[in-house]
Amino acid sequence: MVGWSVLFPYAYLVPLLMVGSFVVVGLGGTRLRRFAGGGWIAVAAAGASMVLGVLLGVAEMLDPTYTDTHVVWLSLPATGTGTFPNGFELVMGTLVDPLSGLMLLVVTIVGFLVLVYSLGYMAHEKGLPRYFAELSLFLAAMNGLVLADNLFEFFVFWELVGVCSYFLIGFFYEKPSAASAAKEAFLVTRVGDVMFLLGVFLYFYVYATSGPAGGWAAHGFLFVQGSSPFLAGVMGGSTPLLTVAGLMILGGAAGKSAQFPLHVWLPDAMEGPTTVSALIHAATMVAAGVYLLAVTSLFLGFTATDDLAIVAIGGFTTFFAATMALVQPDIKRVIAYSTISQLGYMVLAVGAGFAMVGMYHLFTHAFFKALLFLAAGAVIHAVGTQDLFKMGGLRRTMRITSGVFLVGALSLSGIFPFAGFWSKDDVLSSLFGELGSHPLYWPFYLLALATVFLTGYYIFRVWFLTFSGENPRDRSLPAAHEAPGVMLVPMIVLAIFATVGGLFPFVPAFAHLLPGAGIPPSYTATDLALSALSVGLAAGGILTAWAFWGNGRVFELPAGSAAQPVRRLLLKRYYFKAGYDALGLTGVYTFARLCDFVDRYIIDGVVHGLERSFGGLSERGRRIQSGVVLDYASYVVAGVVVLLLFLLVVGPYLVATWGS
Amino acid sequence: MNLVDIAFLLLAAAAVGTALLALLVRELVHTILWVAGFFVVLAALYFLAEATFLGVLQLGVYAGAVTILLLFGVMVTRRSIFRRDAATGIGPTSVALAALVVLLLGAVAWRFGGTGAAGVTAYAPAQLSQALFGTYGPWLLLVGLAMLAALAGAIYLVREGRE
Amino acid sequence: MTDAFTTAGFLALSGALLALGLFGILTRRNFILLLVSIEIAVNAAVLNFVYFAAFAPTTAEALNGQSAAIVIVALAATEIAVGLAIVLGLNRLRGSIDVTGATDLRL
Repeated sequence: MVGWSVLFPYAYLVPLLMVGSFVVVGLGGTRLRRFAGGGWIAVAAAGASMVLGVLLGVAEMLDPTYTDTHVVWLSLPATGTGTFPNGFELVMGTLVDPLSGLMLLVVTIVGFLVLVYSLGYMAHEKGLPRYFAELSLFLAAMNGLVLADNLFEFFVFWELVGVCSYFLIGFFYEKPSAASAAKEAFLVTRVGDVMFLLGVFLYFYVYATSGPAGGWAAHGFLFVQGSSPFLAGVMGGSTPLLTVAGLMILGGAAGKSAQFPLHVWLPDAMEGPTTVSALIHAATMVAAGVYLLAVTSLFLGFTATDDLAIVAIGGFTTFFAATMALVQPDIKRVIAYSTISQLGYMVLAVGAGFAMVGMYHLFTHAFFKALLFLAAGAVIHAVGTQDLFKMGGLRRTMRITSGVFLVGALSLSGIFPFAGFWSKDDVLSSLFGELGSHPLYWPFYLLALATVFLTGYYIFRVWFLTFSGENPRDRSLPAAHEAPGVMLVPMIVLAIFATVGGLFPFVPAFAHLLPGAGIPPSYTATDLALSALSVGLAAGGILTAWAFWGNGRVFELPAGSAAQPVRRLLLKRYYFKAGYDALGLTGVYTFARLCDFVDRYIIDGVVHGLERSFGGLSERGRRIQSGVVLDYASYVVAGVVVLLLFLLVVGPYLVATWGS
Repeated sequence: MNLVDIAFLLLAAAAVGTALLALLVRELVHTILWVAGFFVVLAALYFLAEATFLGVLQLGVYAGAVTILLLFGVMVTRRSIFRRDAATGIGPTSVALAALVVLLLGAVAWRFGGTGAAGVTAYAPAQLSQALFGTYGPWLLLVGLAMLAALAGAIYLVREGRE
Repeated sequence: MTDAFTTAGFLALSGALLALGLFGILTRRNFILLLVSIEIAVNAAVLNFVYFAAFAPTTAEALNGQSAAIVIVALAATEIAVGLAIVLGLNRLRGSIDVTGATDLRL
């Protein structure tokens, strides 16, 4: 019987289609003006890859197997001796498993919708071919990352999505802030990337040198089903090196997923087009860090120390980022901090040992966060500003946008029965179940719980400031208009996902993609109470927001209030960016001054000293060359004198001393 | 002190004297006359050493040809051949150098010379010519070539209308 | 000094003559005087060859010395010819045969 699995070996077509689009649009450039700057080509390729990606996802639902297709790049045979007694192999290929099936659904669907939306949103921008080419390359790299079947290939695509992120943040490269934000994102994630690579090396070192014959390294770092107990069991699961390797992987994930303390780049990444924020800096690329953690925990396994570190980073970031979202005046930045906060939930879940729960939240978050960004983009598109305090009353002119934004906000807040409720509740209840395993889990659980309240507050603050009230606070804003259909349709589709996406794991087939996630089989009274608590907290946050900002109210914090310093601290983002800048400036400037000193006084000094000494020497030598024959004759005579002296004095002395 | 010794001493004194005068007189033509005398004294010294062929050669080439050439040089470079030159500056360095050379050469002579010689033998010019055209044939050819090249060079140097 | 006509004697003579020639070379600025000085120095050398030949123990060595002297005389005469050609050229070029004025080869 020919099953769905016949599709699996063709998974490479998903990224390849986008590579094709990248090449065509990138090379076609401005000649593609009739195709909306290549946008239609990119949309067509993304549509085709979405169809294939969804097919693969459905195939995984119906036939949840691991299908690995690869070619061998490099192979060292096992010799039993030397540095790598077990041999070593480097492969490149695709692995279709439930996890990548799930990610394929997210990436291809959101990617396609964002590309369609871009046709309307970016219509008036310059450099459209560049935009669509880079977005195509990003989707190719992201799909490649999702399908990667080994850690090295994973890293290659990881770097590719990083560079695409850099390109796209700096899309408006004429704006200095965008250019510097792009550099910042690249450099900060680079810190994580280096740690990731170090982690790969460490895993490689441990498994290639002391792992069992025919082990993981010998098989090309393949992600193999069931290898986790195998590896962890063989290595004892907790050697110090493996712990360090796991921490390095966590560092890489923290860089990409903007976790504390590498979170600073994501809010600044909002300098890119809003579509990019939606696709890359909310739904897909930043989730790659979580995906990396999930994959590592499933296929390699973390040690207990690693798990605690992951929980700590995730739990702290969740709360930390949410506090900064409370006061931001920029609509996109609030959502950006919200993204960091939600990524913290996912990291938290993975660290607590529930990789699938983290992926569950990733899945729902991708839809409602992309929705929020696209809706925010529609607002920005309509009024031409990102300042919340200039907006207001847009509900009247942008009915559909305000509606879908409301759906996204409810989903983000975790209000029953929107998608965010199910996954967030799953995260919290899973962690609650693990609280007994480590005393330090408690504070992070409480932080995560407090964040639910903050989330409801900050996202509804945005909604009220933007849409409620009578008129825009800034009268000079252009009259707002509803977004065109090409932008509305993707938002509506995402709104549907954001509403019902949380229920997917209850579909038996879909549950294959997320084994272990979703509502526990036995829904106890404790679970119900926890759900009620979190919904209550979220509702409390929303009500607080209404009290402060509802109906066009603007809450002014009284001057001299005790909360003012806190507000300033939050607005300044805890001075993290300023601190990093100062650190970088001090370090780089000191180094540059040192280099300058070395260059100016030591290298140049030597060069100039040599030059001056030779100059002086030749100046003196030049004087000898007088051109007067008599002078030359005297030199000859002087030479004769020296020779004679040698003959008379030095020669006899030498002969007397050394014998003849 | 025999006659030969006395003759040598006299001739040596004459050689040094004529050379000094040639260098010290102010008038160029007198210099040439004195140097001609110097050449003649040297020829006499060669005769004293029984080198008759060389003595004849010295008379012919130096006292004759070279002197005439030098005179021609004076004649074509000055309007009036009898003219006193301004005293040439005799720098202390050059005098010191020359004096040093004298001292050193004297020391060489004292150090390496001084032993009495057995005596002086005369050789027939025929023997000399046999050596010259036999053993030193190639040398002679080379000297001839050098003279030819010098002739061509001299003609080139004084050619009319040369820039 | 009992016997002047010895190696020491003619060495001293030729040394003195060479020094005189050098003295002239170093101090005279007139090209013709320069040539004269050079001739004096060269003749001092020739004198050496001739006298060493005279005192040489074997015939072959004596003939060696005299042959060398002849070669030197020939070359010195050649040199005078070229030197005088240079005197003429210099005179035509500068109107003077003062060698200190001819410094075109200076850097």
